[in-house]
Amino acid sequence: MLLIHCPYCDETLPEAEFTYAGQAHVIRHPEPSSQTDQEWEEFLFIRENVKGDHFERWRHFHGCGRYFNAVRNTVSDKFLTTYKAGAPRPQLSDLKEGGE
Amino acid sequence: MSLYRVAGKGRVTTAKPVSFSFDGRTYKGLEGDTVASALLANGVHLMGRSFKYHRPRGPVAAGSEEPNALIGTRRGPGRFEPNTRATVQEIWDGLQVTSQNKYPSLKFDIGAVNDAAYMLFSAGFYYKTFMWPKSFWHKVYEPFIRAAAGLGVSPTEEDPDTYASRNMHCDLLIVGAGPTGLAAARAAAMDGLKVVVVDENPEAGGSLLSEPQVQINGQSAWDWLSGELDALQELGVKVMTRTTAIGYYHQNMIGLCEKVTDHLAVLPEDTPRERMWRVRAKQVVLAQGALEKPLVFNGNDRPGVMLAGSAQTYLNRYGVLVGKQPVILTSHDSAWHAAFDLHDAGAKVQAIVDTRDSVNEALQKEARDRGIPVKLSHTATGTSGRLRVKSLRVNPVSGATVGAGYNIACDAVLMSGGWTPSLHLFSHTKGSLAWDDDRTTFLPKETPEDCVIAGASRGLWGVAAALMDGAEKGRAVVAALGKKANVQDYSVEVDRAGSGVSHKELPTDQNPGKAKAFIDFQNDVTAKDVRLAVREGMRSIEHVKRYTTTGMATDQGKMSNINGLNIAADALGKKQPEVGLTTFRPPYTPTTFGAFAGYHRGDHFEVVRKTQIDSWAEENGAVFEPVGQWRRAWYFPKSGEDMDAAVRRECAATRASVGIFDASTLGKIEVVGPDAVEFMNRMYTNPWTKLAPGRCRYGLLLGDDGYIRDDGVIGRLSQDRFHVTTTTGGAARVLNMMEDYLQTEWPELNVWLTSTSEQWSTIALNGPNAAKLLQPLVDGVELTEEAFPHMSCIECTVAGLPARLFRVSFTGEIGFEVNVPAPYGRQLWEALWDAGQQYDITAYGTETMHVLRAEKGYIIVGQDTDGTVTPYDAGMGWAVGKKKPDFVGMRGLARPDLVAEGRKHLVGLLTEDHSKLEEGAQIVFDKNQPIPMTMVGHVTSSYDVGTTGRPIALALVEGGHDKVGDTVYIPMPDRTIAAKITDTVFYDPENNRLKIGSGV
Amino acid sequence: MSVSISTLSAGVIIETKSARVSVAAPKGRLSLRTRGDLGVFGSALGVEMPSKIGACVRSGELEVLCLGPDEWTLMLPQDQVASIFDALNAIYEAQPHSLTEVSAREVTFEIEGTHATDLLSIGCPRDIESIPVGEARRTVFDGVTVILWRDASTQFRMDVWNSFAPYLAQTLETGCKEIAAELA
Repeated sequence: MLLIHCPYCDETLPEAEFTYAGQAHVIRHPEPSSQTDQEWEEFLFIRENVKGDHFERWRHFHGCGRYFNAVRNTVSDKFLTTYKAGAPRPQLSDLKEGGE
Repeated sequence: MSLYRVAGKGRVTTAKPVSFSFDGRTYKGLEGDTVASALLANGVHLMGRSFKYHRPRGPVAAGSEEPNALIGTRRGPGRFEPNTRATVQEIWDGLQVTSQNKYPSLKFDIGAVNDAAYMLFSAGFYYKTFMWPKSFWHKVYEPFIRAAAGLGVSPTEEDPDTYASRNMHCDLLIVGAGPTGLAAARAAAMDGLKVVVVDENPEAGGSLLSEPQVQINGQSAWDWLSGELDALQELGVKVMTRTTAIGYYHQNMIGLCEKVTDHLAVLPEDTPRERMWRVRAKQVVLAQGALEKPLVFNGNDRPGVMLAGSAQTYLNRYGVLVGKQPVILTSHDSAWHAAFDLHDAGAKVQAIVDTRDSVNEALQKEARDRGIPVKLSHTATGTSGRLRVKSLRVNPVSGATVGAGYNIACDAVLMSGGWTPSLHLFSHTKGSLAWDDDRTTFLPKETPEDCVIAGASRGLWGVAAALMDGAEKGRAVVAALGKKANVQDYSVEVDRAGSGVSHKELPTDQNPGKAKAFIDFQNDVTAKDVRLAVREGMRSIEHVKRYTTTGMATDQGKMSNINGLNIAADALGKKQPEVGLTTFRPPYTPTTFGAFAGYHRGDHFEVVRKTQIDSWAEENGAVFEPVGQWRRAWYFPKSGEDMDAAVRRECAATRASVGIFDASTLGKIEVVGPDAVEFMNRMYTNPWTKLAPGRCRYGLLLGDDGYIRDDGVIGRLSQDRFHVTTTTGGAARVLNMMEDYLQTEWPELNVWLTSTSEQWSTIALNGPNAAKLLQPLVDGVELTEEAFPHMSCIECTVAGLPARLFRVSFTGEIGFEVNVPAPYGRQLWEALWDAGQQYDITAYGTETMHVLRAEKGYIIVGQDTDGTVTPYDAGMGWAVGKKKPDFVGMRGLARPDLVAEGRKHLVGLLTEDHSKLEEGAQIVFDKNQPIPMTMVGHVTSSYDVGTTGRPIALALVEGGHDKVGDTVYIPMPDRTIAAKITDTVFYDPENNRLKIGSGV
Repeated sequence: MSVSISTLSAGVIIETKSARVSVAAPKGRLSLRTRGDLGVFGSALGVEMPSKIGACVRSGELEVLCLGPDEWTLMLPQDQVASIFDALNAIYEAQPHSLTEVSAREVTFEIEGTHATDLLSIGCPRDIESIPVGEARRTVFDGVTVILWRDASTQFRMDVWNSFAPYLAQTLETGCKEIAAELA
């Protein structure tokens, strides 16, 4: 069981309080009708399958209820960082220098 | 005093005899004994039969690594556990123990013919022996394998014990309460640090319990231990015994299984048998020690052949001599001390046979002083004795030449092939290992966890080294925790750190192809099996393991892995690390299902949600069904009624007069804020802007892929406040989805969502008399077509309770849903029930609800839809707002596949012969086509207990909307049923019955 | 007005030497959701609105708990619910928000006694000791979302949705007896 830092609660808590919510930074175009079939297919179905650092979403379901973003290494299962929804996607190089 | 008990030795309590039975015979042991030590004290070595060859076996070890002495333990009805290690189970008065894998008796076992037929059971025998002829598979091979498979016998009665679980958070968890673990604990024992030490044994001390001769800081080992434990307790360290660290999981989460009552004669009340601890530790010290390796030689599995260190443990910890004329067979110094200890306790040690050509002179002198014959440069090539070893055959070895063999008479063979660090938990952490040529073993290298490994588990032998390393590692973790460690000095005397060499199977002068030199005792894997596996092409140890099953038994190869690896590496002509070590996985020792289940069994197996009206339903004989986490009243049978009869009655009564239904489980979400209507427009397919406060609308929710996700009636309570209902099963999912869009796609909207599912108890009244029944109880609105038409909502008072009243119908009859604050649910139900008596009110359950809605063609999301159905497929294009700029699923609905021809449409089906279709049955257009037929859809809902006079069904059929009137076929195993495609509405298609005052 | 819950009524569920678990008398409970200027709400409610998740502020009989960046729970006597609605309605135009009554949604368990923390540890994966006295957290107990207040070192309140209450009452009762047996 992982420990996850909720960027809203600013606490590191057991995974049991959280739910996984898929890949991060998949943005729904504000005008879906402008999207081609292929663009909409990519938005709906096409996801990365990273061996390594993965940008993903979690929700503090049994806590503050907020969706947030995380970078987790899918090999070691370690979180490099978590950050609030809407915050810019961090540079991996920054995380590794400052991180673990 | 039992025959083999030594007065004044051991930690057992001589004054407290304990009596227990083994295979029906009563034996006496002492408090503190295990089953194994007590039986050995009575001279019993034979404790079981092996798994494959049914060879007689006795204990080879004294701890949880024991592969042979597996027993069944019983404590009255239902309390039976197979495959318990006799070396771990403590005895208590009345314990019943049985041996395993024997028929008709342990001493004479028919399955032992397998032993004579051993050629059949060589490596990979499953793949070879049982291949041909094919016709033998079901009738001969499979029954044989099933009868032979498995260890012990499964219990057949329900387990009456309870199990518990608990979470724990600590600064430092130390696994192993031997000298290493205790020294680490002492370094960390201080105010402000929560330190926990766990050990699988009944008492702390580890190897010190078997080595009382050691002197620590001027005290005997046991005196020092007792004082140290007191000191640790004083300092607030929690020491948990009978507690096994079974697994090491991510981020320092360790699973502990605490055995709470298995050692007690009388079970205390309210006490679980076992407790699973989920520990989150900031730092972990692994001090699991090392396990002794057997030597691999012909006949090394005979009862009476055991590990020298274990014999020492039986003597020093339990006061039991495992034999009176033991012979020692070793490649390591440590077994010499076992010889000395047994000699000093009165045994006549027949010889010390050492494979090495030179041994420490001091040891040799000690042997000479005791008159023990010493044979260096010797190998062992056989044992004799049917149910107990009688002699050991040894041969001198000179270079590669094995000389003539001769027998040494004995009643026990105490062997040692050196020691293997216990790396199981370290391996769970994904820790890397490094091969150490000197010690011929793997040693721990690096781990990604906040964890250190200390003492014998990293290859340091002897009590002094253990204490020093434990203290040092303890200081290191305390520093990592930001504190200053205690500094403790240890002076140790009479320590017995030794050295040795490691072997593949011992050399022999006999045909090695006939040798039964066991590596894995529990799975009956011999050295020649491993060599055969290599000859047959297995290259990696992972392949050898699976082909031979070595290391795959319940002991997970604790004693066999390194011997297996050495032999496989030798056969391959490679170094051990090139052949590899198999991965250890949790649990460290076999763990009961009960411990994993914890509190979640029986009626507490999983969360069961109940409505406020559940108690009324129960009192009135309802039959329940689970719907998601809820239990819901399914139908209310009267005396003598089966389900069909009850549902038929409930349906008819509701259509004839009035039915009452508990709809409290419906999900409810309050959508509030200035942007509420904008949010509703974006989430649901329907337009909401023009919906006036006080009115409701059926809402359809899609995913962005265009498929139906949920539905429900939504009321607009005021300009900025919507009361949204969802399906029972979809409540959490829909709120989750709405929060997702709101938080991450449209954070600019000023609207908020609050779950009110459980704020309200919801009671549905349906039927021509529903308004008449309700009107006298309602304050604040006239229940007329004019004042409160179909699809209205209002906040008012019902039966004196504050209520949200909805006029909606899921049956096609005049319908109301009354919402009152949840705790008043039953009160309102009873008020309606009483008021309804004059109308013969009928309570109905979910089955009647399903039938009545199907007659009206109302869909159930998840039954008539399956995640690939669009509103158009379902014939609900009317619910899609055509002029909206966007809603979730709008773009999806324009996807090429969703606008293509030939999609499956929801239609009605009426069978020509009035038979009832099976839900899920496949549909074809042409009943005469060859098999495999082209399937064009399936039945989604089917009932024959309703009010339409014949069975009805809903189905998804390819192009169904254009095929109304056509006949389709439903092939069943016994016949093919013809059915006509119809509209989905079977009852009152004009909706006349929805109108108040329309008459019945 | 008094509310009787058909499945669990106010009163002691179990009391052992480890802890006492009881169902509290009903209270008014409001969910407030908003963003922006909390000061306006503070003035309307007569408290300083907490903004740190988990923080509680009390003023008279009103208790305000911050559960999320835009979420507060207000606990108050049932008969004051209407006046809170009035007070906040008055500022709705200036400070859009959602105020929703959830008084009837939940049951409050009161858990106190020397071993209350141990009792909670049978179902709570998070470290109970990390919740400061006077604060509260939404968390999970035996698989069910709960709000847990730590009113004193060994005194807690636990709010749970009605339908889960009988199930959690069973967990708490089992644990209470188990821990008492350990002390025996």
